[in-house]
Amino acid sequence: MQRINRRDFIKTGLTAAAGALLLPGAIAADSRPDLVVVSNGEPAELVRQAVEALGGIGRFVRPGQTVLIKPNIGWDRVPEQAANTNPDAVAQMVRMCVEAGAKTVRVLDRTCNQARRCYQRSGIEEAAKKAGAQVRHIIESRFQEIDIPAGELVKSWPVYRDVLESEVIINMPIAKHHSISGVTLGFKNFLGVLGSDRGALHRDFATKIVDINSALRPTLTIVDGYRVLLRNGPTGGNLQDVAVKKTVVAGTEPVAVDARAAGLLEVDWRDVDYLRIAEQRGLGKCLLEPARVKTIQLG
Amino acid sequence: MMRWLRRLSQVLFLGLFLLLFLQARYPYEPLLPVDFFLRASPLVALGTALSSRALPSLMIWPALLILLLTVIFGRVFCGWICPLGTTIDISDRLFLRARRQKKRDSLRFRSWKFAILVAVAATAFFSLQILWFFDPIALLTRTLTGFVYPAFVYLVSSLFDAGLEIDWMAESIYTLYDSAQQNLLPLQQPAFYGSMAIALFFFAILFLGSVSRRFWCRNLCPLGALLGIFAKYRFLRRTVSSECTACAVCQRRCRMNAIEDDFTLNNAVECIQCGECETVCKPQAISYRFGRGPQLNQIDLSRRRFLQAGVFGLVGVAAVKSTAQNRNAIGGVIRPPGSLPEAEYLDRCVRCLECVRICASTGGCLQPAGWQSGWEGLLSPLSIPRMGYCEYNCNLCGQACPTGAIKKMPLPEKQHTKIGTAYFDRSRCIPWYSHENCLVCEEHCPLPEKAIRFDEKTVTTADGQVRLVKFPAVIEELCIGCGICENRCPVVGKPGIFVTAAHADRRS
Repeated sequence: MQRINRRDFIKTGLTAAAGALLLPGAIAADSRPDLVVVSNGEPAELVRQAVEALGGIGRFVRPGQTVLIKPNIGWDRVPEQAANTNPDAVAQMVRMCVEAGAKTVRVLDRTCNQARRCYQRSGIEEAAKKAGAQVRHIIESRFQEIDIPAGELVKSWPVYRDVLESEVIINMPIAKHHSISGVTLGFKNFLGVLGSDRGALHRDFATKIVDINSALRPTLTIVDGYRVLLRNGPTGGNLQDVAVKKTVVAGTEPVAVDARAAGLLEVDWRDVDYLRIAEQRGLGKCLLEPARVKTIQLG
Repeated sequence: MMRWLRRLSQVLFLGLFLLLFLQARYPYEPLLPVDFFLRASPLVALGTALSSRALPSLMIWPALLILLLTVIFGRVFCGWICPLGTTIDISDRLFLRARRQKKRDSLRFRSWKFAILVAVAATAFFSLQILWFFDPIALLTRTLTGFVYPAFVYLVSSLFDAGLEIDWMAESIYTLYDSAQQNLLPLQQPAFYGSMAIALFFFAILFLGSVSRRFWCRNLCPLGALLGIFAKYRFLRRTVSSECTACAVCQRRCRMNAIEDDFTLNNAVECIQCGECETVCKPQAISYRFGRGPQLNQIDLSRRRFLQAGVFGLVGVAAVKSTAQNRNAIGGVIRPPGSLPEAEYLDRCVRCLECVRICASTGGCLQPAGWQSGWEGLLSPLSIPRMGYCEYNCNLCGQACPTGAIKKMPLPEKQHTKIGTAYFDRSRCIPWYSHENCLVCEEHCPLPEKAIRFDEKTVTTADGQVRLVKFPAVIEELCIGCGICENRCPVVGKPGIFVTAAHADRRS
């Protein structure tokens, strides 16, 4: 994750200001949406179209950058059971990053079931490797405690070093039911890069995941809604609890993406505590102005 | 010539043994069934057949093959195959001082191995199975699982971890680490109860080499004793020509002390066909040939020793079986899925810890028992959910078990086999104790319909706040006792939910 120091901040600011003065057209040209919903396609196609609609991969990944993709690989389940992010969707994202000239594209998750089982049975390890990613297992000694200045209850927590060191972070959750937060989407998926005993976060869960997400912000969030798990999440296992929605919700605004994706689970975002708290605390808006949202129906 | 062939064979079999050990893991794609060596031990086959009063299944064909080999070639298993024998040879050679022997080693402990064999058989007959303590294959597999591999992993991962701290090499170290984890290293450091005891016993065996070479094989190994009996009329015999100068080198160099004082006779029961005497004989008077030449075949077990061993065994059985059992423990010891009823389970289990090893590569709930199930259950595998959980999609322990103490079950059957039941400790469980939401147990419960559910209730806390809280409960009929709930319970120390063996399905 890029840490911006003051000098860079001023430089960037001045450049942007100069650019804005010199090229008024540039601002008008930036009418790219910040949230897109693409439906009715296969997983890889959904992801490709979503990124295209957001302005293309070049908006997020520049040549030579290090990219980290964080799918949900948490469970020893196969793709049809919709407990982990769709492997084809992950592979597509990897492919695009590689094509954009990324130096490395790394895929990892700190799993809940035994890691090798999850990586293999989710299909993600194989698909992502084939697409050109480094698929890494978590090494427990590679967590680094970070400060969370805006945290209310969580003031610091160990985070995986690869996340801190990557220039581009792409959060790729799958939309699932979850008994505590009602839904598990991008905010909850980010817990997968945390070390230590994550179970301790489940008390006052909403406040705590907002704390964590106040310190870690993805460049891009892509919610896999190809298959969604409507009940008995986040593990699932029963195919009757899975609905095929063939949808991807993607965007640069993590709060808005989660709010929109909650709809896939037939949950009103107003009923999701952490979204309300995140908005109150200024992490982003749940609803973006319509001009920044684009909906695409394929095929 | 024979020496080099033998060494090659020893190295190959030790290598195969280690390879199969490494392959006892998820994903399970072994070259041979990982319990191959255990099934090749006639002592394991005979002992478990006696104690469980069941004819061993056809799975023991490797043991029959070894017996056949022994009848024809003598104790080639001990000299050419046994991985513990090879380990002892290496340790004798590397660590123990080479002595110029002036006179022949004493024979006084030689009878012990037969006495141990008698005691093993006598106790097995009365349904107390102690062969696990002595069988070299079970012993070595147990030592690898319980001590050698965890220690090895610790050392190697410490090196990797140190390398990861150095910035300029961290990237390549990480890549190397990751590829090492594909085959050689596990993802988590394995750690087992009892590993110190297992290690001490193993080192004691190696250290006995300072008394004489292959002390264990000469004097204590009951498998060697059993094979010795079958080797009595071996066809491949040691013959000594008239070139013999009676220099005594062969006798002093014989690692089994099997050569008699006239140097022409050797004891078929003791000889492990290693060929060392053939190699060291200057006049080349010694050769191994098929035939019916003269040989000694003396089983060094007096009638008195035989009786002593039998009586000792019986007294041992009576002592162990008449000890009080902890009633809590009988209900509380969680066995692997597919375990036979407790008595049969203990009759068959040879404590090789192959299941523990394979479990450590997935859920990691299995541990060797300490005193939880009494003297009779020492080192028998049980589940300790606070250490690991039984992976819902895994049935590997049954596949690795050489004796059928744990049944092989297809996955769907295993997923419905109850090994225990979870209970909430409401004085510790967070929602019950402090009226705050938690539900980590429900989140992890792998049953597709969730064996932990919750009830949402409005409560008033002690300090007067009104809250909506989700109170979890176990659905007893659905819970299979996998223990991931107990494993992941965030309560520090004693968990808020725990599994007992209640309602476990232990059909044979």
